[in-house]
Amino acid sequence: MASNAPENKGRGKLTKRDISRLGLRSIFNQSAMNYERMQADGWTLAMIPALKKIYKDDKEGLANAMGANLQFINTNNYAAPLLLGLEASLEEHGEKRSTIDGLRIALFGPLAGIGDAITWFTILPIVAGITASFAKQGSILGPLVFFLVYVALFFARIPIAQLGYNAGTKAISKIRENSAIVSHAASILGCTVIGGLIATYVQITVKTKIPVSAGHTISIQTQFFDRIFPNILPLGYTFLLYWLLKKKNVSPVVLILATFVLAIALSWLGVL
Amino acid sequence: MSVTLMQGLLIALFAIIAGIDFWLEGFYIFRPMIVCTVTGAILGNLTLGIIAGGLTELAFAGLTPVGGTQPPNPIMAGVMTVVLAYTTGKTPATAIGLALPFSVLMQYIILFYYSAFSVLTKKLDTYAANGETKKFTRLALLPTWIVALSYGLIAFLCVYGAQEPMRALVNSMPTWLSHGFEIAGSILPAVGFGLLLKSMLKAEYVPYLLLGFTAACFIKFGNLMPVAVIGVALAFIEYYHNKRSMDNEKKIKTMIDNAGGNGDDSDGI
Repeated sequence: MASNAPENKGRGKLTKRDISRLGLRSIFNQSAMNYERMQADGWTLAMIPALKKIYKDDKEGLANAMGANLQFINTNNYAAPLLLGLEASLEEHGEKRSTIDGLRIALFGPLAGIGDAITWFTILPIVAGITASFAKQGSILGPLVFFLVYVALFFARIPIAQLGYNAGTKAISKIRENSAIVSHAASILGCTVIGGLIATYVQITVKTKIPVSAGHTISIQTQFFDRIFPNILPLGYTFLLYWLLKKKNVSPVVLILATFVLAIALSWLGVL
Repeated sequence: MSVTLMQGLLIALFAIIAGIDFWLEGFYIFRPMIVCTVTGAILGNLTLGIIAGGLTELAFAGLTPVGGTQPPNPIMAGVMTVVLAYTTGKTPATAIGLALPFSVLMQYIILFYYSAFSVLTKKLDTYAANGETKKFTRLALLPTWIVALSYGLIAFLCVYGAQEPMRALVNSMPTWLSHGFEIAGSILPAVGFGLLLKSMLKAEYVPYLLLGFTAACFIKFGNLMPVAVIGVALAFIEYYHNKRSMDNEKKIKTMIDNAGGNGDDSDGI
């Protein structure tokens, strides 16, 4: 029974200042951007002070939380503080690991979509369009306004993080009532979204065409793989890697290097 | 007009700062609007910088690093547009085109780094597992410093001294190699997902993974929102289903307890 109830004793509390700091630290989100786990390293780096304060002397708890945060994540950089704040509130109140991870995984993709639509496809074109018209006439107002807008947006990370934290704190009492069922539901949500992520992020397109008769060729990709199921190669390759990682205990570094070499070699051969 | 050594060093220093800013997406001083203006100021022709900034910003408006993709590099585009307009006397509009190879060069360096830095995650896993926050912080920041130095070096070489060899380098790069980098970038997330599944996937969740995958394959939409909504729907179905059975279990349990109590009372009859 005790294992089912969220553990709350001995945890540090986060202050409003801690959350503001978290908002500013969201700048680290892309500090170690890479194709394997995208922003995971920087995301964890941003979370470290908050996690240290929450787990205090509980070294094992801290290690677990850091490890769990170090999983694939790729979101918009202004959505990151929102998600960081939300996660900090859940960590602080000792929600189940699977609840926290499930929600984070489920939310980063949609938030990336919304965030990119706002920052890259709405704010940037408007700001760039207006300031460029000044700049083309040689007016310093162009670059100056551009700069000021983005400095303001940078500091907006602080209220965005507070927003996420408060949303999380409000949701906690609801989660608390049925923590086991909620964590199961969160895992379902997480796994559904991972399925979608595989279909959108992993891209493998075979270029090879087989000549069947004079002047007639069959494209392996469009006339074979795509007819079986779209994105079947990404799904197959992801499961192959999952199998190698889980059952054969192959190191991720080996898989990264193998994938990289394979990609270059197949590009050279003209297969991909 | 030519660029002096001092100006070359100053531009390299600014490229380092803007490079870090682009890597982290902080203050957007990496956009051509700011890069061109600062480069112009360093070269002593602020107006040229501002005008080039307006033109290059518009030219790069559609090229955004969304979803982990990497467009031609805005910093090198901005720096070289102004430098080439300054040194050759051509109009900024023409210089944008001439600057493109340098922008592409930096784009491929960053693409290579995206793949290369994947190797660091294993070591970070170890630090995380031991809760070593100091070592973790140092290593997680290392890529940022590597990127910063690369910007300084490439910007200096392109601006001062080695402009022609740099252009030749870009033009001689075989397409299979650059294409290979792009392919590697689009397959490598599979390793991240494999690791994610290793920690999250239980047999009972496989159906949901397949549902999400299939939904994303057939729903053509700009982001994963539809898949997430389907996920939320599935999660709620399961949530209410479980909650009902848990409530029923409780009811049955109290009924049994009550029945058991009555049984004891009536035992004597």
